[in-house]
Amino acid sequence: MAKTILIVDDSESIREVVNFTLQNAGFEVFAAGNGIEAQKFLDGRTIDLVITDLHMPEMDGIGLIKYIRATAGYNRVPILFLTTESQLAKKIEAKDAGATGWIIKPFVPAKLLAAISKVIR
Amino acid sequence: MDNFQKKFLEEASDLINQLEQALLTLEQDTQNPELVDSIFRIMHSLKGGGGMFGFDNISSYTHKLENMYDLVRQKKLKVTREMLDITFESADHITSMLNDDGTKSNEIKRNEEILNRRIDAILDGDNFSDTSFGPAESLEQTVSGVKSYYVKVKPYEHIQRNGTNPFFLIDELVGLGKHKVNIFYSNIPDFENFVLDDSYLWWEIILSTDKDEDAIKDVFIFVEDDCEIVIQRISESDIFEMPKVAPLLDCRQDFPFDLDKIKAICQEEAVKEKEKSEAENSENKAKVNSGDEHIKKFTKESSISGIRVASEKIDDLMNLVSELITTQAGLNLYAEKNKDAELTRITENLENISRQLRDTAFSITLIPIDYLVVRFRRLVRDLSREVGKEIEFEARGAETELDKTLIEGISEPLMHILRNSIDHGIESAAERMAAGKTPSGKIILQAYYSGSQVVIAVTDDGAGMDPKKIKRKAIEKGLIAADSQLSDKEAIDLIFMPGFSTSEKVTNISGRGVGMDVVKRKVSDIRGTVQVSSSLGEGTTITIKLPLTLSIIDGMLVRIADVDYIIPLSVIDTIFAVEHEKIVSAFQNVINIEGSQYPFYYLRDEFGLTDSAPAKEEIIMVKYEDRKIGIVVDNITGEYQAVLKPLGKLYRNQDIFSGASILGDGTVALVLDTHKVINQFTKYNEL
Repeated sequence: MAKTILIVDDSESIREVVNFTLQNAGFEVFAAGNGIEAQKFLDGRTIDLVITDLHMPEMDGIGLIKYIRATAGYNRVPILFLTTESQLAKKIEAKDAGATGWIIKPFVPAKLLAAISKVIR
Repeated sequence: MDNFQKKFLEEASDLINQLEQALLTLEQDTQNPELVDSIFRIMHSLKGGGGMFGFDNISSYTHKLENMYDLVRQKKLKVTREMLDITFESADHITSMLNDDGTKSNEIKRNEEILNRRIDAILDGDNFSDTSFGPAESLEQTVSGVKSYYVKVKPYEHIQRNGTNPFFLIDELVGLGKHKVNIFYSNIPDFENFVLDDSYLWWEIILSTDKDEDAIKDVFIFVEDDCEIVIQRISESDIFEMPKVAPLLDCRQDFPFDLDKIKAICQEEAVKEKEKSEAENSENKAKVNSGDEHIKKFTKESSISGIRVASEKIDDLMNLVSELITTQAGLNLYAEKNKDAELTRITENLENISRQLRDTAFSITLIPIDYLVVRFRRLVRDLSREVGKEIEFEARGAETELDKTLIEGISEPLMHILRNSIDHGIESAAERMAAGKTPSGKIILQAYYSGSQVVIAVTDDGAGMDPKKIKRKAIEKGLIAADSQLSDKEAIDLIFMPGFSTSEKVTNISGRGVGMDVVKRKVSDIRGTVQVSSSLGEGTTITIKLPLTLSIIDGMLVRIADVDYIIPLSVIDTIFAVEHEKIVSAFQNVINIEGSQYPFYYLRDEFGLTDSAPAKEEIIMVKYEDRKIGIVVDNITGEYQAVLKPLGKLYRNQDIFSGASILGDGTVALVLDTHKVINQFTKYNEL
């Protein structure tokens, strides 16, 4: 069965790029525009991987990561966050919150898939 | 004689062995400068060692040979038949000097004078030639770009809490190239302290890859803060191409790679590579200071080849290991009874270690068959010349290893088999041509592992054996009755009977008197079996099967009337459960199981036991020559690793037990030699 991935980003273009790349790679992809939407989506579902942006309205990436880690059934789900090189402090914050790894923006499809392959197989 | 001299003697006989090997190869490939080099080096070390340890005669004699091969190295002299013959004879000459106790010095002196004259003839003669070797071909340096790394990955316990799966990292890492992975389980706590989300395993990986170090680092980019990671480059080339490293890469869980040793070998290989390329570059220019270089090279090679240990010490070690295994079995049993988690854990760890210790100790006693092959090559070469036949000798699987006592025990039988092949098996060139074969015969010695056994087969493409002729001879000698009905195979097996020899005339090679019966007896002394198969006109194959080791066997623990016995696993084919009724009603000790008829022995009867047998018994089918024969026991306890102990004096006269083993609870189990059980009871029943 195809692995399921949830992409959480407020930018539609990012969501689409990720969606396109991952679907071509054989994953089943779901999308959410922010943390709250993601929370709603996750409620009662299983998912193999969450990819989230850090800066989003409503509930940001850090908040989402913390929520996921604190929720029974999700505390072992790998989480990758999207970041830019300059945000070192954010990177540490996200890792401390429980993120598994990160993807540096801007990215090419190969890089995205390489990062994913480190956390799910 | 002092210790150094003794050591030199050992070394020297090793060198002579190497010399013969190199000469035999050089005979095939007279243009090979490496072989000439190694012969020169051997002479050089004999000369040096001889001078140092009081063998001046060896020193002065090898000096001449060294000169001769030095001229060859410098391409001033060409390898000739005479030169090879002289060197072969010199090897014998040096051996007799080494072994001389003063009684043969006159003979040796005479021999030396003759050899010296022959060497001088070569050195002074006009055989000097500068065209003997072609220009040295420059070996192309293959720059593959593959480098080797050591990587240690030790995740902190919490690593899985952020969704990381350490297995994926290892998967990704080993995907980069050739690898060996060592897993460490030792940090796993006992059940009570085990936290489901925590990570306890850690890994060591040896990796050869053409990717750069950054690619390796990149694998761990997400977990830099969650793991202890060590990445070390250990070689600039592919470590998996270095045969010397291979044994160090055997993965043994919970035992780290011996990194220092691996690195040292890599270093050596790198130096060798460098020397090789330097030597190639400077070959045409510098010839002067090559002497020192060779000394250096030699000392280095000998320093890594291992150490010499007196064989009694190894025997002591093996005895201690055997005791340890027995004690371990006792501890296992005790730990199992007392359900203490900590005790169980320690026992399991200890068992793990003793098993590894056992394997390592055993591997020390193993010697490759190659050790014998050199001797055999010489034998075939010399004998085939003597009888005027052309015979090619090929050894396959010479790297197969055998226990040293087995190597000692098998040498003579194999020599005898080879002599037979050369003398009786292979026909003369004329006969071969007439039979439409190639004029030169071939003998192949093949060794390989088969389960817990080592198989050594000697095959010749000679005349083969004629069952009719053998049978006639056996009748003539009164070994069988004139009206015996024998299949061809049974007829050929007659050669194993004492006092049998088909040779028309006595020759001084295989002679008469010592026959195949002795071969068979010697092989069975070391718990081996001999089989022969032959087809007339096509050749003969003699197959020897030996146990891997003599002192520990994998056995099946069985019970008969509340007494434990062990049957070696290697002879067991299948096991069936049978009703006691079926055994009692069996006609002529033959039982029908799943549509096949099997002869069987009922050990309760054979042992003369009268108490009542269980309603359901087990019949173990053991391999006996080409058949399966059943042995009935009460029940089967399970597999058991038995340390064989010899039986005491009182029991020496029995023939059906090969030894005894002490079980974990201190009781003794006798080890059944099924071969002899069947032989003995067959005899007894026929009487």
